[in-house]
Amino acid sequence: MIRDGSVVRCNEVHFLVGVVIEQNVCELLGLVKLVHIFIQTKRKSDIPALRNKQLDVINDVADLPHPNAQNEFLNYVCILGHQMEEISSEDDISLWGLHVFGNQKTPPPLVFPELGSCMLLQSVMNNELNSVLEIRAEKGETFLTGLLINGWLSKLVSTRGHVEEIVATWSFNLMLYSSKEELRTSACDFWCAILPSKNEVDLPSVKLDWLPSYAELKRALEIYGFLLDSSINNSSMSEMVCTDSNSEGPPQNIRTWFKFLAACCQVRSARTIFSTSEAEELAGLIIWLLLDRQLQGLSLLLYECMLSVINFFTDKEWNISCKNVAESLAYRIPKDMNCLRIVECISGISTRSKHLRSVVAFRILVNCFDGKVTDAEDILKMLMSVNVKDKKCDFFKMYIYLVLTENWLLADPLLVNKTMIFEMWGVCLRNCSCQISSTDLRSYASKVRNKASYLLQSTVSR
Amino acid sequence: MENSKRNNRGIEENTMAILDASGVKDAQDVDDDRLSFLEAVRASSIVPESGTAPTGKMLGAIFQILKDGKSLELTMASYQLLNALDKHFPRVYLSHSDKSKLSSTKQFELVVKEAWSPFVLGSEGVYSGREAAVKHSSEPLDSFGFHLLIQDIAQVANGANFQVFDTKPLGDMLAFQYLVNVLEGDFLPRNTAYRETKNWALLRESMLNMILEAFLLLISGGKGEGFQTRYNVQGSRRISYKSLIKDCVSIISNRCYLHAGFSLYDLKTPEESSAKTIHSCDAAVSIALVELGKGTCTAVQKLLVLIMELDMSKKQADMQGCTTRADGVRTPLVEIILDELTYNEDLLSPFFQAFSEPKWKLEMILQYFWKYITKPSVRTRRSNNSSEDATFGGVLKCFSNGTNTKSIIKKISTEVSQLLLAHAFQAYLSLQHSVEDIADSREDIGGSSVVQICESMISAFHNLRRMDEDVEIMPLAKEALFTAATILSTKS
Repeated sequence: MIRDGSVVRCNEVHFLVGVVIEQNVCELLGLVKLVHIFIQTKRKSDIPALRNKQLDVINDVADLPHPNAQNEFLNYVCILGHQMEEISSEDDISLWGLHVFGNQKTPPPLVFPELGSCMLLQSVMNNELNSVLEIRAEKGETFLTGLLINGWLSKLVSTRGHVEEIVATWSFNLMLYSSKEELRTSACDFWCAILPSKNEVDLPSVKLDWLPSYAELKRALEIYGFLLDSSINNSSMSEMVCTDSNSEGPPQNIRTWFKFLAACCQVRSARTIFSTSEAEELAGLIIWLLLDRQLQGLSLLLYECMLSVINFFTDKEWNISCKNVAESLAYRIPKDMNCLRIVECISGISTRSKHLRSVVAFRILVNCFDGKVTDAEDILKMLMSVNVKDKKCDFFKMYIYLVLTENWLLADPLLVNKTMIFEMWGVCLRNCSCQISSTDLRSYASKVRNKASYLLQSTVSR
Repeated sequence: MENSKRNNRGIEENTMAILDASGVKDAQDVDDDRLSFLEAVRASSIVPESGTAPTGKMLGAIFQILKDGKSLELTMASYQLLNALDKHFPRVYLSHSDKSKLSSTKQFELVVKEAWSPFVLGSEGVYSGREAAVKHSSEPLDSFGFHLLIQDIAQVANGANFQVFDTKPLGDMLAFQYLVNVLEGDFLPRNTAYRETKNWALLRESMLNMILEAFLLLISGGKGEGFQTRYNVQGSRRISYKSLIKDCVSIISNRCYLHAGFSLYDLKTPEESSAKTIHSCDAAVSIALVELGKGTCTAVQKLLVLIMELDMSKKQADMQGCTTRADGVRTPLVEIILDELTYNEDLLSPFFQAFSEPKWKLEMILQYFWKYITKPSVRTRRSNNSSEDATFGGVLKCFSNGTNTKSIIKKISTEVSQLLLAHAFQAYLSLQHSVEDIADSREDIGGSSVVQICESMISAFHNLRRMDEDVEIMPLAKEALFTAATILSTKS
């Protein structure tokens, strides 16, 4: 139909009216319109939304009555997909973003018929008051759900000082797997209320017959579709079209997962739920999740969670753990804009996060040079030796080096008195800011120049 | 000092240059520049050990990025940065003077820094800022701009209808949350200092008070009237303090986040997954919506609590003769809310379901009851020292005999009585917990012990049932009674 890659026009869509039902045409027209907006603005951040829209349209195809119509329609959507792909690869300004979540798996069952026989209910069922309450064992789950949603349950267990295993597992599963917002957040509030101790150093205020472990949290993440070895997202649009991605992306429960993890890390003095190495893995995981654009809206939650996890470690453990976290991240991260994103999303708001930010930037930098240089001085020598006048100079790489180095030098305690390092850094910045001509139109040349002159200015005023 | 000022200007110039949009740029580049700008402010102010505070111009630019709500990434980043900066460089704070170590009394000093604020305050804001408020333009907000923002959010909360790519509502929600954080950061230290020093001027100059005063100015002042008609012409939007509160109550009661942004990514059980649940909804926006909606409800609640605290301090200052005529008369917030809930009874249950701050929740419910319990002297008495009648125990006492109970449920239905009793009991228990945490004392706030309260709760419901044979005990009330019974069986 359209082979030369020219832009699809709305009237060409009407051409298909004969074979598809009207609703699909509307959807397709919507998609065409979006592609047009995209062509005009070239705003890359629209791409994920476009992809979703495309998936919507494709999912509707299944309803089409004739197989022929289905094929015709799919063809058409694929062409649109290719057009989007072409446009997005036109200029080579790349964006961060990894595909961290794939298809979801089936969650465990949430029905617990045995709940009715728990001690909590039994104790009142024998009471004379039950003539008013009319609680029966077979309705136990409904009643407990009410207690949970309306916030009574945490008051009850803190009065009794005890949570039975069945109540713990039931509420834990609701928190991580219920599709009802009210249930999962109430269950999360419940857990966050019972985990801490009364005062900082005290024994736990509530005795829990069952505590989740690292494995349980990890399993939940896998059910949400987390891809352990999430490869780079540059999976092309056509690939996306062909996979059945009915439930790609994390469910809303990811929010309660974050909150619960943060709560677990904050109560280390009262209950140790993770080992140090597990906490290291979790810290790396949280930072990794910040690379998924789908989770952008939850970044505040993620930042808080990150702070809780890095505060989990004792001062003694921190230096080694920080290095371990940084190394595992640096090892996995693709050498593109994601490097910068991962450093910038470590907020630097506390001493530890500043430290981590610096160490991560340093480790990635070392990795960028394939581990050939590991010493601060050598790295700067390497950077100084880059000839920006060279026609073959890779400005994209240079841009990444600049940002990483800046972040590394900003908060490395070992470098405080090494003026030599900072002098070398100054030379490097001057090279970039003065030797790249403002008429250099190669991609990233101007970005490198601007960045360098900004950094140069701010080091002077500092 | 002179040196650091020059330094600041240098940083400002250098950083603001990043936003300079000269040269050929497409939308993506503008967004990229904005992100680099935010990152540069963070790197110069927060990350270094002794970072410099950004200048007003820079803060204004960040706030503008937040208000624009162009993309989710920018909105989140600017919101986070503004909050981090406020924490790092507070406008108002209490400094503990060294004397406090020697003397037993606490000594604070309230430090107020002259700094950029997202609000235009005082009377000049009322008039000069009006154009800005109408157009939602780049100026800082005045009271009306603030109200318009809340109206926008309330409308979204009512309709819960989101456009696929529309990140504007998300930007509104976060801008509002930030503004409430600013108000809180300004008010709380002032209120603490006021309680110590009884110096009303500290609170009179708080941003919150000045914003609320601006509403009064509008109604009384001559120029204000013209302004108000202008506003009414601008569409069906009515600006007044009461309608502001009405919007707040409706946002809280709607709890829109419970129904928003779902489907596409919900976990599915095998039976459900065959059902068609695909919606055209940007994945990131739909995931964010629930969280931000919830945060907005919390922020609205926080705003109401702040106003109620201000009302309380103002009442105290009134009684001590510290206020002047210039302070204006504002109807206490609790009364406005109770009027709204009485007039609009459907809101009663969802409002108390969602309003979780126990101190003021209990206070509102108690005042609701006292409006209908015939005890003429009670309201004047409670204003001085909290007499026992004004506590939850006092209310329960009214339900302890048949005739009283009957007269109450004649005025407020059995259903409302049940609902309010259960919510009050819950708030009471929450307060009890926090008291236990601090002092580990089992003494009640206001006399009776927990065991007594639980016993009175149960007998109150027995009386309700005696008075009204057909009454169905509501699930919430059953849960309250269950809790009371459990506490009795473990504590006695």
